Amino acid sequence: MENVVSLEQVNKNYILGKTTVNALRNVSLVVAKGDFISIAGPSGSGKTTLLNLIGCVDIATSGHVIINDQDTHDLSDRQLTELRLNTIGFIFQSFNLVSVLSVFQNVEFPLLLQGKISVEERKTRVMDLLKKVGIENHSKHRPNELSGGQRQRVAIARALVTRPKIILADEPTANLDSKTGETIIDLMKEMNEQEKTTFIFSTHDARVMAHANTIINIADGQIVGNQMADKNKSSVKTSAKSKKTDKTKSKSSVKLQGKTK
Amino acid sequence: MSQLFLIAIRNLIQHRKRSLMLGGAIAGVTMLLIFLTSLSSGVRKAMFEAATTIQTGHINVAGFYKVTAGRSAPIVTDYKKVMEVIKKSLPDVEYIVPRGRGWARVVSDTSSLQAGLAGIDINQEPYFKNVLHLESGDFNALSEPHTVLIFEAQAKRLNVKVGDVIVISALMPNGTNNTIDLRVVAIAQDVGIFSNFSVFMPHQSVNDLYQINSNNMGALYVYIKNIKQLPKDMDILRKSLTEAGYTMMDSDPRVFWIKFDSVNREDWTGQKIDLTTWEDEISFIKWTITAIDGITYILTSILLIIIVIGIMNSMWIAINERTREIGTLRAIGMQRRRVMSMFVIEAFTLSALATLTGAVWGLLLAGIVHALHIHIPTGAQMFLMSNTLKFSFDFFRVINGMFVIIGATTLISLIPSLRAARLKPITAMQHNG
Ligand SMILES: Nc1ncnc2c1ncn2[C@@H]1O[C@H](COP(=O)(O)OP(=O)(O)O)[C@@H](O)[C@H]1O
Ligand SMILES: [Mg+2]
Repeated sequence: MENVVSLEQVNKNYILGKTTVNALRNVSLVVAKGDFISIAGPSGSGKTTLLNLIGCVDIATSGHVIINDQDTHDLSDRQLTELRLNTIGFIFQSFNLVSVLSVFQNVEFPLLLQGKISVEERKTRVMDLLKKVGIENHSKHRPNELSGGQRQRVAIARALVTRPKIILADEPTANLDSKTGETIIDLMKEMNEQEKTTFIFSTHDARVMAHANTIINIADGQIVGNQMADKNKSSVKTSAKSKKTDKTKSKSSVKLQGKTK
Repeated sequence: MSQLFLIAIRNLIQHRKRSLMLGGAIAGVTMLLIFLTSLSSGVRKAMFEAATTIQTGHINVAGFYKVTAGRSAPIVTDYKKVMEVIKKSLPDVEYIVPRGRGWARVVSDTSSLQAGLAGIDINQEPYFKNVLHLESGDFNALSEPHTVLIFEAQAKRLNVKVGDVIVISALMPNGTNNTIDLRVVAIAQDVGIFSNFSVFMPHQSVNDLYQINSNNMGALYVYIKNIKQLPKDMDILRKSLTEAGYTMMDSDPRVFWIKFDSVNREDWTGQKIDLTTWEDEISFIKWTITAIDGITYILTSILLIIIVIGIMNSMWIAINERTREIGTLRAIGMQRRRVMSMFVIEAFTLSALATLTGAVWGLLLAGIVHALHIHIPTGAQMFLMSNTLKFSFDFFRVINGMFVIIGATTLISLIPSLRAARLKPITAMQHNG
């Protein structure tokens, strides 16, 4: 199984005045291609910090973060940006769409940054995705004309449009009501299955994390365990849209190597 | 990436108030710059027209004749020969006008004034009648002997009207005064400082006054087809006149009546030819244009500094507001260079649109003021070369001014844009707003 993410003995410290905050401590983990992982933990436990390191928007204080076979420590800002553009998709807690661009233009934007494909190709790819996330009728709207759930659908389409290997979502449902939140997670799951994209999302909502194949529990900057979410899932799953899951479950393949207390 | 333009324009529209204020300021400065530039061009044009009608040709072939070392007369002897040389050697010649020259006191019953005397043949002056506007009288009467054309302000000072007789009194080199009586046949509207110091009469009257024969001429005003050729034409003339056996004076960019002293001090006799350009002949008045240009540049520079500060300020605000957006774009893979371009493009777009608008306003305003024929106070008329405010559209200077403003504002936008580009992508996650 191909590993798309691997962390080895990663520490991340923040200097706050005279004290040092150890946001992550000796974190090691491996994520296989196609997984659907939830990082769970209370507020302040280090979820965002972990996702930032995987997403190449921050650099570890020590240890190795290897994304798509590249150690991010060795890369320049330019190369890290390239890596983010081509290998990683982001879904943000507060959607972070470009307010002056339409839904279509927001989703198209990463393709323009890549500059690899033609106008027609771009158009079909964007419209296909908008259809998949169920927002094709709003392609000409501006983000502020949409509801939170609709905006997050656009964000999901934007993250998927470059066909990245990994999609990172930091508390993607935190700004949505719980019902909308669940449909968003369902949509992510659907995309995970259809596009074979690896999803790593953080949450502190038990109902949301239940949708994951694997849950990585994090507390006080350390990984405290993982669950292959099979049992929880069946119990929660009934309330959700009821689809698939059987074949994906078996894919769960997060290996935890962090010290556990 | 055309999307950056779209983002720029939409952001400008989104922050309409800020854009309008800043854009308005840029447009205002551009308007002022273009307005003043057009005024300067207008004065330059009026000056050129007035000067090349009254005071000078495009090129003047003149000179001094000295009987003894200390006595000079501003004349070209046997001028028709000189004219032949010019015609033969200079294909760019449009026409040549012989002008008598003198400097004398003009006396009426009640008053007197000093003036340059210009001897003309009214029938051989193609543009004279077009450029000057008569208050009263008739141009054609100047072809009659012992007549004179004077200007409005002179007529007022002398208290004469058409039909009256004035006396011209010239101091001769031997210390005596020669006088002739001339009948005023035309009074022309003033055209700036040149008209204060000029009166026009038939050649014969100048010759009578100075008791010189008609083979002598004050100057040959050479008008050329292509004014841009002037420096080249000067060289050609200098060479061909030297080859024809004439002694040339060193080039000296001053009006002829200032040169008397130095010529009288020089130790030579006979004829020397002096070549001057129209600019040389009006060099004593060119400070007007320099002053208008100076005021224009100082004023726009100060305003431009204020605008540049405004742009910086407004961009800091915009970048602060859009920190999360910048972080997001960096996170999803936008390179620093692109972030920088995004903001520079925004500043450039605002500046270009505003400058264009301002230029249109400036030209409109100049056009309107020009069309209103606003009367200039008499004192200022002398230096603005016209009795109404005149503007002229100079394409090159307008484009130049616009470039300076767009350039300055775009250049300064690099500073805040650079800071925007250096924002870390992590800010996208940290801002929870
Ligand atoms: N930029 C920062 N500077 C200082 N401390 C930080 C910074 N970002 C996060 N932290 C600290 O690191 C710890 C982990 O934070 P974070 O990763 O945001 O947790 P979570 O996302 O699980 O809420 C917290 O104690 C937080 O206060
Ligand atoms: Mg967090």
